Order: sequence, then structure tokens, then C-alpha cells
Amino acid sequence: MIAIHELRKTYTLGAGNEVEALRGVTLGVRAGELVTIMGASGSGKSTLLNLLGCLDRPSSGSYRLDGVEVTTLDADARAEIRNRKIGFVFQSFNLLPRTTARENVALPLVYGEVPRAEHAERAEAALAAVGLAALGDRLPQQLSGGQQQRVAIARALVTRPRLLLGDEPTGNLDTATASEILHLLRELNAREQLTMVIVTHEAAVAAWSDRVVVLRDGRIVADGAPDRVLAARALP
Amino acid sequence: MTLLRATLRTALSALHRNLLRSALTALGVVIGVAALVAMVSVGQGASMAIQAQIRNLGTNVIMVLPGATTAAGVRSSAGAVSTLSVGDGRALARALVGVAEVSWVRRDVAQVTAGNRNWQTAIQGSPPSFAAVRDWPLKSGRFFTQSEEDSAARVAVLGQTTVAELFAPGADPLDAIVRIKQVPFRVIGVLGRKGQTSWGQDQDDVVIVPFNTAERRVLGATVLGSVNMILLSVGRTGDIAWVVEEVRRLLRARHRLAEGQVDDFTVRTMTEMFETSLAASRVMAQLLAAIASISLLVGGIGIMNTLLVSVAERTREIGIRLAVGAKTRHILAQFLVESVLLSLAGGLAGTVLGVAAATAIGRFAGWPVIVSVRAVVLAFAFAAAVGVLFGVYPARRAARLDPIVALRHE
Repeated sequence: MIAIHELRKTYTLGAGNEVEALRGVTLGVRAGELVTIMGASGSGKSTLLNLLGCLDRPSSGSYRLDGVEVTTLDADARAEIRNRKIGFVFQSFNLLPRTTARENVALPLVYGEVPRAEHAERAEAALAAVGLAALGDRLPQQLSGGQQQRVAIARALVTRPRLLLGDEPTGNLDTATASEILHLLRELNAREQLTMVIVTHEAAVAAWSDRVVVLRDGRIVADGAPDRVLAARALP
Repeated sequence: MTLLRATLRTALSALHRNLLRSALTALGVVIGVAALVAMVSVGQGASMAIQAQIRNLGTNVIMVLPGATTAAGVRSSAGAVSTLSVGDGRALARALVGVAEVSWVRRDVAQVTAGNRNWQTAIQGSPPSFAAVRDWPLKSGRFFTQSEEDSAARVAVLGQTTVAELFAPGADPLDAIVRIKQVPFRVIGVLGRKGQTSWGQDQDDVVIVPFNTAERRVLGATVLGSVNMILLSVGRTGDIAWVVEEVRRLLRARHRLAEGQVDDFTVRTMTEMFETSLAASRVMAQLLAAIASISLLVGGIGIMNTLLVSVAERTREIGIRLAVGAKTRHILAQFLVESVLLSLAGGLAGTVLGVAAATAIGRFAGWPVIVSVRAVVLAFAFAAAVGVLFGVYPARRAARLDPIVALRHE
């Protein structure tokens, strides 16, 4: 599903001031896998997620998504990949304000040039899949945090992507709501064979996944089953 | 189609959300378009009025006036005796048979009385060809004949203003007797209304009598045969240029002007005056266009400013749209549509305002006003162009946002 090789990303902050966010990352993710990426802030985990999400291009290295090399694609081609193959879930939900839940969910369909007749139906189906069948007409500000994140997940699912990327999806939620969301994601992963890569700094979230990848200073320092990786990290 | 609808809805809701800001932004375009429409309407009305007046004189008419033209275009004083004569007129008529009708005019101001009313008006002596040359139909009665001309008959044809001054409303002036300088004349015809000349003279304030009659019985000319003006009406407009040359050549020969001597007469064509007025209205139009472009430019800058603010405010929204798969052109279209909607709304309001202003000017200032579809279409096209032109920069700025930066924007 995901095959990245020697991926590097260097940011230039003014003249001569370069920051190496990723220093050669090689990683493979199989279809249907549920992977979490951990690391301290500045470890490069957000950069990696942006690259996986085709929001950014690496400085060097290769990234094949679903067999397609995406590092050489231009901005519009990457937009199309984001639209068709990738769903995003963000920490701060990122729903359009003053726009109903249903319209928020249908937004990717607009840019995917899906016939309008299908929009409402597909948006409803996606809302039903996250347990919000009755709340399509609500505005984001009329929904709780957990409900907003469910709408965001529905939006990520509506184009039936192969890959769901999460950037601290439970970071803004209380523990109970966070566990509901994780439960929902796990269920979707099992039901749809949806590949998921989730960035988090919470051990609890990592423990819930199939596999944990730990980054430090732009390199992978651990990769494996949660119990093993987390146990190793807990050591002094 | 779906995309267009979604884009339109987003644009409308964005503009609606900041209604006051949108309205104030569009105000620049409103004023620009209103000014454009109003001024084009007034300008077109004025130029149409001038052209109608000139056409009313007959564009195929050539006027020959005594005296030379100075460099500044002002006729020098012709002195007591006109340099043009009936003989000149007859010679031109003979030379231009089948090409142009020729007539001549001798006029003076005199007191005319009818019953107990009297009126000072222009007494014009002309041969019967005058009616044809000026293409001046009669409202009632008839024009005088050649035999009346030859016999210096005391018959008169009255202009409408003269009729109105000398006769009670509704009274029939035909066959009535009017006295010009105490000499009785029988009214045989009333001329149709001709209106004012472009220089403001009331052409209907006139009494026309046979030329011979005027000379001998009314004007008391000391020198017989001198005329104030020779008029030619050319059958085909295309002949005007060479007829003018022919007239000049013939008159120079008759007046025995040596080579190098200036003409002692002036030949004027109506086409000439027509073109002068057209040139004037063109200058007017250019001036209006300049004013309108300046106001539209200011309006456009206003739109650009508002859109830049809007792009900044909605950076995160743009980021979300980019993340879910919006392409550069989608974002570009989004802001361009907003810009064009703003300017078109301004254009619409401006058109309404401009038409209202033009109508008001027409009513209260009494100017002729023509609201043409062309002016409205032009104004709209300009407004739309302003929208596109000034929307491009903010829209490009939005479309080129880095999705990561945009998503992180607070």
C-alpha cells in the first residue's frame, strides 16, 4: 500500500539556515494495516504525515502509494490523489464553519466531480457509517467535539479512499470521547480493510494500533508491535 | 455544473456573510458604472440632437456666403454691398442643371402686421426653387410660382412662429392679408415646422416672399440683384465635393479673382458641419471614457483590497479545501467568481442608478437624453472586466497557498 524509501525533507528557513526534518526514512505499510507514528515534537512525524498525505513533496527519496510514484506529481495531480485515495482527519477537526455536516461531508465529492445527484446519498451513507445519521443538517458549531470529529471522519470516508491519515485525531477530545473515536476507527479499519496511519504522542493511542513506528530527529528508531515498542521506550 | 453551482453558492454565502463590506466594496463600481451610463446617455442625447438639427437643414445642402473666411474661421465684414448676386445664382443654376438645385436668399428684418397684431420678423426673398432646395414641405396652402416671381406678386408664405405671433390660435391664415412695411400681401401658404438651427436660430420665424417682390416692394434695395446667400442642394451626396469645387471655380471666374487672390465668398457644406459636430462628440465620448475608467479603476482596487482581506480570513478554509482535493483552478475560480459577482452586482446597481440619473437630468435640466442598450452593455462589460482583472491577483494568491501552511493558519 505504502512504500517509502530513503525519504528526506529539508526546510530552508532563510539563507543558509536549513532544517533536516526527515533524514532518510524507509517504511512500508501493508493494505489494511493500522499504524501509529510516535515521536517528540520536532521528530519529523508531522512532516512524514504531510508527505504521506501528498500535501508536500520530499526533498529526495521515493514514495509509492498504491503502486504509483507520487513524488514526481505536480500540485493538481497530488490534489487528485488526495481526493481519490486519501482521507484526512485532523486534531482540530477542520470542518468548514457555517456549512452543514452533510455539506462538509460532501465537499470532497464536489472536487472529485461526482454527479450532484449522488452527493446527498453518499454523504448520508458516510454519516450513517460514523453513527451521525440524524445530524446531517446541523452546523459544526451545533455539534460536540466528538460529533465534529465523526463528521470529519465521514468526510474522509466519503470518496471511499484506500488510506486514512490522522494527525492527533483524539488530541482535542476528552478521554471517553477519544476512546469512542478510536473504537470507531478500529471498526472502520476492520470493516472496510482501510489502511490507517495515525500520528500521536499518546501511548494509549499507540497501544491500540497494530504497529508503532517511533521517530527521533528525522529517523525511525523503533518499528514493531505496540507492546514491544512501548515497553522498550518505557525503559530509561 | 455541480462544481459551478457549489462555487457560486460558496461565493454568494461569503459575500452575504459580510454584506456591508461587500456593498461598500461594490460602491466604487456602482459609482463608476452609474457615471458611465449617465454620461454616455447625456452625451449621446446631445450629439443626436445636434445631428438631427443639422440633418434638418439637409446634409446635401451647400451654402455660399459673401465675404472671405479668415484664418480663425470668422467671416470678415462683407461691407454694405454683398459680393454675391442673383447673376451668380443664375450662372450656378445654369452650370449645374441636373446636378443641383440652386436658390438664393435676400433677407432683412421688418415689421409685419395682421389685423391688430404685429411682429418683427425676417422677411426673406427667394425664388420658388427655395422650397425644393431646403426640402421644406408646406403645412397648408402652396409655395409661390415662377410667374408670381416674375410679376413680383404680393404673396407670402409664413413660418409657423410668425403664424403663431400674427394670428389667433386656430385661425386660418390662408388668404389673409398681412402687411409688410405697410405693403399688403396675401398669405398663400404656411410652412411646416423646421425648428431651430444648430446655432439656435428659429427657422420658423420667417416670412418668405418672391425674390423680385422683396427687392422692389419691401426691402427697398438700393443695389438690385445682391443676395445674402446662395443655396445649392445636390442630388447625390457623392457629388458634393466636386460641386463645391465647381462653385468656387465659377464664382472666382465671375468675380474676376486673379490667381493668389483669396475668395470673396465662403462655401460651406452641411457635411462639413456634421463632421465637426461628430468630432466634438467623439472628444466628449473620450473624455467620458476617461472619467469612467478612472472610477472603475478605483472600484477595481476596492474589490482587490476586499478580496485580499477575504483570502487572508479564509486561509484555513482554503487549506481544508486543498486537503480534500481542490485543485489550483478550483480555488482560483472560487475567488474570481466572488470578484466578478461583486463587480456585476455593482454594475447592475450602477446601471439602475445611471439610468435614473440620466432620466432625472433629462427631466430637470431639459437636456435630450438617450439611454442606449449599447451604453448599458458596455458598462456591464466593463464591470465584469474589472471583476476579472482585479480578482486575478487575490485569487492567484489564494490558489498558490501551501496546503500545510494554510491548514495550520489560525
